[in-house]
Amino acid sequence: MATNLQKPFDPRLIPELQEIVGDDGVVSRATELKVYECDGWTIEKSMPDLLVRPRNTAEVSAILQLLHRRNLSFVPRGAGTGLSGGCLPLAAPVMICTSRMNRILAIDLANRRIEVESGVVNLHVTNAVKAQGYFYAPDPSSQVACTIGGNIAENSGGPHTLKYGVTTNHVLGIELVLPDGEIAELGSPVEERCGYDLVGAVVGAEGTSGIVTRATLRLMREPQAHRTLLALFRDVDSATRAVTAIIAAGIIPCALEMMDQLIVHAVEEAFHVGLPQDAGAVLIIEIDGISAAMDEQARYLTELVRGAGATEVRLARDENERAALWKARKRAFGAIGRLAPNYATQDGVVPRTKLPAILREITEISRRYDLRIGNVFHAGDGNIHPIVMYDERDASQVRRAIDAGRDILKACVEMGGSLTGEHGIGVEKMAEMPLIFSPEDLLVMAELRRVFDPGQRSNPNKVIPAPGGCVEIAFPRRQAPL
Amino acid sequence: MDQLDSSELMHNLAAVLGTERVRIAHGNEAGVAATVVEPENAEQISELVHKCETDGITFAPMGASRTLAQIRSAPVRIGVSLTRMNRIVNYEPDDMTAVAEAGLTLEELNSVAAGRGQRLPCDPAKPELTTLGALVGAAKAGPLRLSEGGPRDLLIGVRFVGHGGRLIHGGGRVVKNVAGYDLMKVLTGSFGTLGIITETTFKLRPFPQNYTLAMASFDSAAEALTAASRAEAAASLIHLEVVSQSLGERFGRTGRSVVLAGFGGSRTEADHYRAFISNALRRNTQMLTANDALAGYASLRDIDFDHAPVVAELAVLPSELPQSLAACNAEFRAHAASGIAQLFLCGGRSEKEIHGAVSRWRDVARAARGYVRVLRVLDHARGGLEMFDQPNEAALGLMRRLKRTFDPHNVFNPGCFVGGI
Repeated sequence: MATNLQKPFDPRLIPELQEIVGDDGVVSRATELKVYECDGWTIEKSMPDLLVRPRNTAEVSAILQLLHRRNLSFVPRGAGTGLSGGCLPLAAPVMICTSRMNRILAIDLANRRIEVESGVVNLHVTNAVKAQGYFYAPDPSSQVACTIGGNIAENSGGPHTLKYGVTTNHVLGIELVLPDGEIAELGSPVEERCGYDLVGAVVGAEGTSGIVTRATLRLMREPQAHRTLLALFRDVDSATRAVTAIIAAGIIPCALEMMDQLIVHAVEEAFHVGLPQDAGAVLIIEIDGISAAMDEQARYLTELVRGAGATEVRLARDENERAALWKARKRAFGAIGRLAPNYATQDGVVPRTKLPAILREITEISRRYDLRIGNVFHAGDGNIHPIVMYDERDASQVRRAIDAGRDILKACVEMGGSLTGEHGIGVEKMAEMPLIFSPEDLLVMAELRRVFDPGQRSNPNKVIPAPGGCVEIAFPRRQAPL
Repeated sequence: MDQLDSSELMHNLAAVLGTERVRIAHGNEAGVAATVVEPENAEQISELVHKCETDGITFAPMGASRTLAQIRSAPVRIGVSLTRMNRIVNYEPDDMTAVAEAGLTLEELNSVAAGRGQRLPCDPAKPELTTLGALVGAAKAGPLRLSEGGPRDLLIGVRFVGHGGRLIHGGGRVVKNVAGYDLMKVLTGSFGTLGIITETTFKLRPFPQNYTLAMASFDSAAEALTAASRAEAAASLIHLEVVSQSLGERFGRTGRSVVLAGFGGSRTEADHYRAFISNALRRNTQMLTANDALAGYASLRDIDFDHAPVVAELAVLPSELPQSLAACNAEFRAHAASGIAQLFLCGGRSEKEIHGAVSRWRDVARAARGYVRVLRVLDHARGGLEMFDQPNEAALGLMRRLKRTFDPHNVFNPGCFVGGI
């Protein structure tokens, strides 16, 4: 278990912080702090010494000036739904939570912009403009809880990523409080940038460049209509061929998700949504656009996936059927509980054409380690989420699950892929960073981080492994649903 | 070595790179540097960078030298031409990704991708002269920015030579990837001031089906911009451009302001959009299809303002564009729905007139919380003209720190970027 390595903090810090944020803005009791000891990656835990909840930029700036004077490190936190231990305090005594900074500041539909504080919940952005026919495109599965600040830190995606892009494509400007308390306006609501793209450097930096307090986001116009199809296949190979055929035909669906037999079986057993138990794999394909063209496109897609080997294609006839299909996909992780007491997931990415190869490799890894591995993932962009099932009461299974996870990531990298498509490096995958980056690449990234945070006090010990350092993984990867 | 004259410098460079890779600048290149080297791989650039840092010699990357020759008020010592580094390293049509060396032109990449119905949808003028390095380094974009974004949205991996001659890579070959810091964003639009980009990896996009170019002309730019905003509200467009009267002739509409809206999709979609757009433009809208549409689009993309004594890019909020353009009192080509326009003057103009115009444009931009960047100006008016607007003080402070960190010897294309970086 990770520990907070920094020496005990000076108790005088509490009144100093209370002066900035008020008595109710500082949490110091261990029983209350326990909630903040981990994010969605529950394997490692470490409580902060103090939690501070500022209400505005000025308070964030004052807090960071104080911590700067005292040379103390801090961890920014949104809703704590991250999946890679990104807001786990490691040698950082103070956690700064943005949850009270949750105001929508300005909505500008004429320019499709919205300005929000960083503690605003992702879904609340869309809710604020839905009635007028607009939406905020990045939609991670945790969107009912996760915050825009957290999305910016992780460069979050979601099912709509394939067509609409990830967080970095939708953030135009930010207000960033640097670790010494200085407030910097980076980017602007205007499309062109003036100077270096510092917004692009901060988005996805996992909270290591300071605390983002405000953001100007791009809004999209809601398409007139959707069509959702469920395609059944004999095996995973033919399903991945269909994915390739769809993309090659010049169609970019707004979602393209796959489940393999193990998962289909588990979902059907648990929820009875009408999936055939004998299907080797299923694809959920969703398209959007103008109403008049949807039926024609759905017919074309149906022919296309039949040609690629689909044994059956079902079209959701109405919103209820569409919701049922998505329920099957979104509940997949919940269904795993029926198959094994514990499971661990990965977030590797491969070039789309390597999907059949990586899935064969995962089957081989499953056989080699004598562990069941299911697959449910974002097929359209090659982002896999293999689920390794094990029983934590059996030490041998735990060890095998760790090794199987690592082998899967290595295989992704060997096929030209990456360690993480959307969950971030955090503390979880730091040890694997040298698989894709040279020591010099990592050095340059560390230099970039120090441009914003020379003292390395903002979310320390994340993303970049210490030179020559070795992170020993004692447990398999996370167990919470995606 | 910084005191050496050109012939001595060339001699020393030849000793490092070989005689055949060192030459005197010609044409536009002279605006960037008097001496040009043509390395064949990143290792040679690495060696060169190392040597230049040791000896305090400045250098800058060069494609066709059109951008930097305009931006630099005085040349650096060495121009590093990437023209020999022009291979497609890897093109995976089924993955829709392409890895190519930075000296390859956009047109060369797209002519290969076109065989598979794909393209890198960045469309600055003259793709035959635009190297991928320049595309990224100068963050060049054209009409397609509306639907496809710019280089920053499409670049998924990069290799560059950084200070100390280090060979660095960021990103990868997959379209979704959050491993490590986003070095692609840092280099996009950095104008060679942080490193020399040697290889780029892009995600490609399918060509739109049934591409159609709708054209309608108007008596005034204001009317054209109003019609354009109706078109934008009516349909999901590939591009939406408005040109002022002096460019009307280019589209057969002499003396008139023209709206050029591009759309596509399935046959049914295209038919619907056609009706929406005709209705929105409320004129005898001409609909070009197939090769006529492509020719019209190329003509639109390749407006290069060669005749203009000064060209600058205005960026404001889209809703503020019409009134900002009116206040600028200049001819223009506008990416109307993105809030961006290239402003220019016509005819012979004095230095005073040019500086006065740019100053007015800057005032207009500032009032609308936007920017103006001078893209090109005749030599006689170059002196004393800032090419870039300055960002706010805090942002500029970070930019200076970034520059010092990535280029501690201040030899990577110094002194021509924002705030004199």
